Amino acid sequence: MSATATTPRPRRRRRGSRRRPVFAIATTVVFFVLLYLPIAMVVLFSFNSQKSLTVFKGFSLRWYEAFFHDSVLLGSLGMSLEVSLVAMLGSVVLGVALALGLVRHKGRLGSYAGLIMMVPLITPEIVTGVASLLLFKGLGITLNSGTVMIAEITFSISYVTVILRSRVAALNPEVEEAAMDLGATRWQALRLVTLPALLPAILASAVLIFALVFDDFVLAYFTTGVDPQPLAVRIYSAIRFGVEPTINAVGTMMLAGSITLIGLALAIPRLFGRRGGLDLISGE
Amino acid sequence: MTQTPVVPDAPAVPAVRLEHISKEFNGSHAVRDLCLDIAPGEFFSLLGPSGCGKTTTLRMIGGFADPTDGAVLLSGEDVTALPPNKRNVNTVFQSYALFDHLSVADNIGFGLRRKGVPKAEIRERVGAMVDLVQLGGMAERKPRTLSGGQRQRVALARALVNRPAVLLLDEPLAALDLKLRRQMQVELKQIQREVGITFVFVTHDQDEALTMSDRVAVMNGGRVEQCGTPEDVYERPESRFVAAFMGTSNLVSGVYRDGAVQLDGGPSLPVGTRPGIADGSTVDVSIRPEKIWLSDFEPGMPVVGGVIRETVYSGPTTTYLIELAPGVTVAALEQNTARARMEDRWEGGERVEIGYDPEHCLVLGR
Repeated sequence: MSATATTPRPRRRRRGSRRRPVFAIATTVVFFVLLYLPIAMVVLFSFNSQKSLTVFKGFSLRWYEAFFHDSVLLGSLGMSLEVSLVAMLGSVVLGVALALGLVRHKGRLGSYAGLIMMVPLITPEIVTGVASLLLFKGLGITLNSGTVMIAEITFSISYVTVILRSRVAALNPEVEEAAMDLGATRWQALRLVTLPALLPAILASAVLIFALVFDDFVLAYFTTGVDPQPLAVRIYSAIRFGVEPTINAVGTMMLAGSITLIGLALAIPRLFGRRGGLDLISGE
Repeated sequence: MTQTPVVPDAPAVPAVRLEHISKEFNGSHAVRDLCLDIAPGEFFSLLGPSGCGKTTTLRMIGGFADPTDGAVLLSGEDVTALPPNKRNVNTVFQSYALFDHLSVADNIGFGLRRKGVPKAEIRERVGAMVDLVQLGGMAERKPRTLSGGQRQRVALARALVNRPAVLLLDEPLAALDLKLRRQMQVELKQIQREVGITFVFVTHDQDEALTMSDRVAVMNGGRVEQCGTPEDVYERPESRFVAAFMGTSNLVSGVYRDGAVQLDGGPSLPVGTRPGIADGSTVDVSIRPEKIWLSDFEPGMPVVGGVIRETVYSGPTTTYLIELAPGVTVAALEQNTARARMEDRWEGGERVEIGYDPEHCLVLGR
């Protein structure tokens, strides 16, 4: 009984491996088509020689040229770059400090702070956006690029802290002690030993924040002034008055920029010789 | 000034003096009322099981833990309130704690750069140190690319290059495999003799402490149980704990009377007259397995009969477990020297006689 029961098993397994998982492959293909076809269309029509958004007539760079002659769009691009840069610097400095504090501070206060820190990650962005708007209005602050920066920094600190926290926790406390043992003050130990050890994670989170803020629409929409507007907001406003192929060109360039930055964020830990660049996502 | 233990032939100013230091963590004492003098140039070991307070003591000398009570003096100067970077001591950490983003040379030069030593001198001293710890050709490599033993040497060089008055070593060899550990023990001792710096060495390995140290402090429960030369603590343990912790020891109990101990239901063991012990009191007798003779007894030596219960061959030595009385067994160790022949070994069940020198017996009252 037991002998006959065991013999057919390897055969069945062999047959199973020969059959192709048609359903799984079909689902995967549909998924990727639905995900990337619209984006592919945007990229394709950004090179269209005609204004049509449905018929591709021929290759040209005229919409890119149009973008670089559009002073409003260029102003928005400049503002978006400025906001992203400031938000990146601000949130990295504060986020790293928060990560160090959360890991090193032993006590109930630290664990509460750690929980509160996670709240922005799960709060719907629209809630954060409306709340920021109400706050600025309530305080009588004029909306401009400064208010966008403040909102974006507040929102981004959590990301930096989440990425950095497990890195800080993984540091060997004896290394900082060794620096002090060798004559470094507490501050020198932080600057000369701890921060260099965290540098790959710091750079990766900086690039990530830059990309996230540059692409961000919701928070920027609620906290920006009228002129200039961040690029994403500007594009949205433009679309309301009919879609210009220039938008396709802008979208394609933003896509290229984002891919470059995210790729950089993933590659940085590898460049520093750490294994597993993807650990940026898990924070491990 | 409070009273501190007197070290024989110690110079007037000890390199390290611990005056009644205590350390409490959440109400429990890791170290309690500990006094120690460590002479300049000494290789001093703090030995004990984990949790005995040896690492805490070392951290208090280094400035990484503040004593709850008492004072730490380095070369006569009270440094209790000073942070680690203001103390003329350096530490070799158990994890080595190397700076992974710096090269071997930059790791070693870290302390000198902090002190603002001129660049040329740093290069020269780092080079000399690289040679001393035999890391030639590795100066530009990153610590991560080195083996455990090499990383250990970097940690040692990084501390020694600063020429501290005292070098603190926290179980520096614990992570190495046995063979490398033996080799590093010898090397560490040679380096210590060469540089003449006071070493305070924390270990839980009694062999390591005995091999390397000028003096050993055996710690237990936050106190020093006994402090002395390796011979002192091994041959003349002053407490049951030290006797048991320093290698294997036979411990049998009985009643002391007129210079002999009557074992429960067994023979009487002459141990010599012990002035401190009252007749009729219950005592423990401790004797090392290698101090028990199985043949060629010397004249006048006490001899007791027993039965071989077990023969354990372990390369250079053979251990016999000998039953002196029901439930009273002692271990005896014989060297498997060139003269000892395999066929002369005793087998289980054979009757034998054991002899010993009463001087080697430690009699501990209860």
